[in-house]
Amino acid sequence: MSKTTRREFIKKSGMTVLSVGLAQQAFWRHVRAASENVLTQAAALSPVDRILVVIQLDGGNDGLNTVIPLSGSAASLYRQYRPTLALPEADVLPIGTDASGTLIGFHPNMQPLAELYARGHVAVIQSVGYPNPNRSHFASQDIWHTADPEGRKRTGWLGEYLDIAFPSADNPLLAVSLAGTRLPLTLRAEHVLVPAVGSVTNYQFRTQPPGDHQNKMQAFLALNREGAPEHVLREQIRLAALDTYESVQRLQSGVQRYTPDPTIAYNPQNSLARALQQVAQILAANLGTRILYVSIGGFDTHQAQATPHATLLARLSEAIATFYADLVRLGLEDRVLLMTWSEFGRKVVENGNQGTDHGTVGPQFLIGTRVKGGIVGEHPSLRPEDLNPGLGDPKFSARAIDFRSTYATILEKWFLVDSREILGGAFELLDVLRA
Amino acid sequence: MPLDEYDKIAHLLRRAGFTAHPDELEAAAARGLQATVEDLLNFERFPDVPPDPEVLAALDLPQSDFDRIRGDFLNRLTRWWLHVMATTSRPLQEKMVLFWHGLFATSVAGLQFWQQIYVQNENFRGNFDPDTGRLLRPAPGNPFPVGSFRLMLEYLSKDPAMLYWLDNQFNVKKNSEVGSNENYARELHELFSMGVEDVVAKVPNYTERDIRQASRALTGWRVLPRATGFTFPRVFAFDPTRHDFGPYDHLGKRGGNNADFIFDNIVRHRNPGQKQSAVGRFLGYRLFTFFGYEDPEPEIVNALADVFDGANGEEPFNIRNMLRTIFTPGNLVSEAFYSERAFRAHVKSPTEYVVSLVRLLTFDRATGRPNGLSSSSSLMRLLQNGMVQMGQQLFVPPDVSGWREGLAWISTTSVLARFNFANDILALSVTQGGIDPMRLLMQAGLQPALQQQRYGEIVDFFARLLWQVPPSVEAREALIAYLRAPISNTNPNTSVDQKIRGLIHLMLAAPDFQLS
Repeated sequence: MSKTTRREFIKKSGMTVLSVGLAQQAFWRHVRAASENVLTQAAALSPVDRILVVIQLDGGNDGLNTVIPLSGSAASLYRQYRPTLALPEADVLPIGTDASGTLIGFHPNMQPLAELYARGHVAVIQSVGYPNPNRSHFASQDIWHTADPEGRKRTGWLGEYLDIAFPSADNPLLAVSLAGTRLPLTLRAEHVLVPAVGSVTNYQFRTQPPGDHQNKMQAFLALNREGAPEHVLREQIRLAALDTYESVQRLQSGVQRYTPDPTIAYNPQNSLARALQQVAQILAANLGTRILYVSIGGFDTHQAQATPHATLLARLSEAIATFYADLVRLGLEDRVLLMTWSEFGRKVVENGNQGTDHGTVGPQFLIGTRVKGGIVGEHPSLRPEDLNPGLGDPKFSARAIDFRSTYATILEKWFLVDSREILGGAFELLDVLRA
Repeated sequence: MPLDEYDKIAHLLRRAGFTAHPDELEAAAARGLQATVEDLLNFERFPDVPPDPEVLAALDLPQSDFDRIRGDFLNRLTRWWLHVMATTSRPLQEKMVLFWHGLFATSVAGLQFWQQIYVQNENFRGNFDPDTGRLLRPAPGNPFPVGSFRLMLEYLSKDPAMLYWLDNQFNVKKNSEVGSNENYARELHELFSMGVEDVVAKVPNYTERDIRQASRALTGWRVLPRATGFTFPRVFAFDPTRHDFGPYDHLGKRGGNNADFIFDNIVRHRNPGQKQSAVGRFLGYRLFTFFGYEDPEPEIVNALADVFDGANGEEPFNIRNMLRTIFTPGNLVSEAFYSERAFRAHVKSPTEYVVSLVRLLTFDRATGRPNGLSSSSSLMRLLQNGMVQMGQQLFVPPDVSGWREGLAWISTTSVLARFNFANDILALSVTQGGIDPMRLLMQAGLQPALQQQRYGEIVDFFARLLWQVPPSVEAREALIAYLRAPISNTNPNTSVDQKIRGLIHLMLAAPDFQLS
């Protein structure tokens, strides 16, 4: 059903839209059942079954204290540049040697992620950034969101993917953001309206008194049924109202299917864990959602960063491991790919306040059963000649990885679409996903 | 079709203020557009809303006691500011305080002492003296909210909350390249004054080195940890032992021994070949976007920048002059402000949404004033929760770049959050601080219409009050049908009241109430 006809349908039918939602779910179940057969036979994953979960580390994660060099010049320079912030070598969790021959390890608080790494489910992509780095949070976030180094696009890279892959946009829950009530630019599309759900339990229409609910919803739909195409802004508000109505109906009827497992304990003190549990809830509902977005803030560590940064990495790592266990329980682990990103790394040289200022490249993690576990790329060189003069952060060298390579890899190898139109060019693909 | 004078006044009061009751519109129309503009601009003519005594009392609590109640403090402060915006006789003053809060976005999420956010709010209203830490109404010399922007940069940089929020209190002399913490210097350029690039010429306004040099000049700026008579840090202090006395290389100039050099360079900075200053353009763009429409044309931006620069002999850097240009008919900028493109083409922010409904629904025709919001605890919790859900928790912007305005407010989330907020506030009883719809009908003489079930008149009344446009035939019919549809399982004695509340709820959730 095209977007127009769906709306025409709502216009005419009012409350009966709920049954359309259910019919749509039946359709998705059907597709899934068909693809599950394929899965068991050939271990190939149908494109409609592939799900991406994006985790944003908001504020500029200090990559150098996340993935730590343990050998060679990088290790000694790291200790020299970071007299108060360098982590004791004995505490770091070694994971292996990278292409430059440097032994690297995770922050001591990342034990759960190190375990997933040991099972081969984590790819560590090192030195990710882009040429001519922008050290402003907002400019650099916009660049990552839009995959446009000029930062001038108003739609995000995954929003564009949704527009291209789902031109009929007939499912209002194709993508869902659980990162607060503001939609991340990554998911902003020209046509597909992505709900910023915030929290699943709050995502419903409240009406009082209860005995007036049907009357109110009828009137609400009626007030939004009548179009006035000449008033563009009013029209956008009206169509958003109709989309909201439909997405609420689908989400609320779907999420009832998720039952928490007492042995899989999402930490209630960890907001990222809470958000990822809602991701699991939505995935278990099987609503045809392809992209989910969560975020964890606090990475802008300009002063006394040791403890807060360690806590953030513990939360990140713990939340991912719990979520992964839940995916296994739900039988979804094969269908889900997780990607982390942060707008930049931080300066190599710590500042005068036992913190770090805005820098350039940093590591990215890809996590999932279909990930080829291991280390991709080289740890940033910390030699003085490889740092930006006067700025104390690594140059975007020839050995660094453009973040659009990660995006291209996900678009081409996970979502199986041509990435060039979305990314404005061809980027080298990384060998991080199994077929 | 150009707007008539009545439409212009209604438009002006929606934008330069937070909307006006039909009685107020009639009164303004009788005074005329020009006089209404001057009343808005010269708001000092009118009394201000007093501070909340309980907010003031909380400032004197020992820190450990304050920290136990700081959540309640934030709710109380939010209620108070929304109440001020809804009831003020100085609407443009409060609109500008909201503008500065969005532009110089500071969040309690980054503050150790949440009391400082109230101090900042009063600073933006012109009621704080950073050098003594005292709150005064007004504080002599304070340029906020509509005075000299050059001076505002100083008052902003001395603001206790700001010194904590962007770490400048930790910024100490380091070397001839950079101070020990460049965070504040960066946002001062990027977000607070000129932006990364010239709004019109689209060329970079400054280099990384300019920021690093500016951070040197801002070293040694602190907040006294303890000052006699105050329970939390709120007195600005300059520490020469931590300060780097320059000279600095900044925006193409070399010199200076303190931050005055930086502030002067910023407000006068022009890119090569550009007639207007970068800051004038930046502020012209931001102000017109806030009051008029998004992405104003370069001619509008430049005309406002000329006023900022004092190109026609005006006092330079003066914000009130820029506002006068936007609102006073008869120039290129105000023609755009009163154009059809601007008319009803602004998506209300959550703050404007809440304040406009409070102002209209608590308006008492007997006094000619809105009653505003009581400090009932259920109402305060409801307001705070509603603002969070709608995406604009006051004093807690998402980050230092503030809230994305305009079209960004339209999403499935905001539709739902506004629907739910309107439901919750209408469900609140009068004793809990809720709205009294029956008083509104009584004061409009519509009791008989209600009793005789002449529902069309009821719908028309609320459409005129809330939407400020006549309802379409279809909307009118849908709302009449709603009023007629019985509530199941309810006490017939309360159902009329509940139906009127339901009607208002639906009208607040409809597209026409989202637009200003």
